[in-house]
Amino acid sequence: MDTQSRSIPLISRGDGVVIGVAVALLLAVFITLWQPEGHGAEAVVYLNGNRWARLNLFQNQDIKVPGPLGISQLQVRDGKIRFVDSPCPTKLCVHAGWLSQGGESATCLPNHVSVQVLGDDPRFDTINF
Amino acid sequence: MIKAISRIFLLILIILSLGCSRGPTVYHQQLLVFGTLVDIKLWGVKQKKAEEAVAQLTKDFNYMDHAWHAWHAGPLTRANYFIANQEPFTAPPSILPLIKRGTELSTLSGGLFNPAIGNLMHLWGFESDDPPHGPPPDPRAIQTLVDQKPSMKDLTVDGITIKSSNPGVKMDFGGFAKGYAVDRAIDYLRQVGIQNAVVNAGGDLRAIGSHGDRPWRVGIRHPRKEGILAAVEAKADESIFTSGDYERYFDWKGKRYAHIIDPRTGYPAHGLTSVTVFANQGDLADAAATALFVAGPRVKDWLPIARAMGINGAMLVDSKGNVQMTPGIRDRIHFEVDPPPPVSISEALH
Repeated sequence: MDTQSRSIPLISRGDGVVIGVAVALLLAVFITLWQPEGHGAEAVVYLNGNRWARLNLFQNQDIKVPGPLGISQLQVRDGKIRFVDSPCPTKLCVHAGWLSQGGESATCLPNHVSVQVLGDDPRFDTINF
Repeated sequence: MIKAISRIFLLILIILSLGCSRGPTVYHQQLLVFGTLVDIKLWGVKQKKAEEAVAQLTKDFNYMDHAWHAWHAGPLTRANYFIANQEPFTAPPSILPLIKRGTELSTLSGGLFNPAIGNLMHLWGFESDDPPHGPPPDPRAIQTLVDQKPSMKDLTVDGITIKSSNPGVKMDFGGFAKGYAVDRAIDYLRQVGIQNAVVNAGGDLRAIGSHGDRPWRVGIRHPRKEGILAAVEAKADESIFTSGDYERYFDWKGKRYAHIIDPRTGYPAHGLTSVTVFANQGDLADAAATALFVAGPRVKDWLPIARAMGINGAMLVDSKGNVQMTPGIRDRIHFEVDPPPPVSISEALH
């Protein structure tokens, strides 16, 4: 046998460590950045047709949006968002219920407030309401 | 050895960068115009160009809203004033094309879509900035207006001079102006070289091109429950319009009175809760959605109208939640409710 094949193994122990770290890093990045398809992690609130706020839906909070008729109240809970109250007669926005899928939206027309859930690959690009 | 390590690193870098590439993004803007929310999405357009295009659309929509408004003083209310007073008048250029197109669409629908019943819309309180409310109007007042039989055919257009033979005509373009405006918006976007877009004026939607490598995805609202009834992917140029009794209505003594008036009776059309029409043009889809809503849930009533108007497909939801649809769209509709509603498929349109 020649001596060369013994002295140069394909992967040394050091290589193994480096590859291990790299794979672990890749996994970590994948887990942190990957979102289930279509599920929006963020929502945009529009007031008078302008972007008013961008919300992380996993950060539970209550938001008051000052529209021309008064305060529209939004609630963010565990990846979902909804209108809790709004100074409009029909409450269509409140009846829209919880929104969580990318592309889902609800609007309080009288108070000029609307909410849309964002998503990289949204279930819906637009809603016929 | 070192080669092997660097190769593996290179591979990992490539995988990582693939995961990060996002490709062209969607430009999204919402406008408050036409008493509704207009949702505009453009795909694969540079930010600056998209902003300029949407700024122009905003101006155009505001102009059209003013010109065609049924009760705010403007070109249309002036025209209606002369009609009511039986005086010939010079048609404002902004409304002349709508008078022509409105007459065509009304004729195609056998009069079920009738943009001449503005007086009935007013009597019911649907021509108002305030939300409609009860009580319903006096039945005798309704009958008086129905007996006048207002029709777009009562108008004689001679060049730009218009005369009405019926003082009962009052034009209200609410049933198709949004569709017409969406068509003009799409025309404009194409003129400036934008090929992938969706313009949705509160359920009056036209899509062109695609969202990159996939079609535009449209959700159709459930007429009675929270959320989405069905999903559909739009074709490369398609109008998908939904009209429902949940859009503008009032409840009085347990009964719902919605904004789509049957010109034959003078009362709100009943029997259906939601109609979605698929067509090539927005104005046709808009008028057809109204006409089918008025025709009602019996297939022998709505199918002939759908055929006469030349639409490509329709989905109707009745007040019990049953769904009817034309065969051409059955494979495109995906229900988002569990269990899916009972569905019956009609005869083919063509």
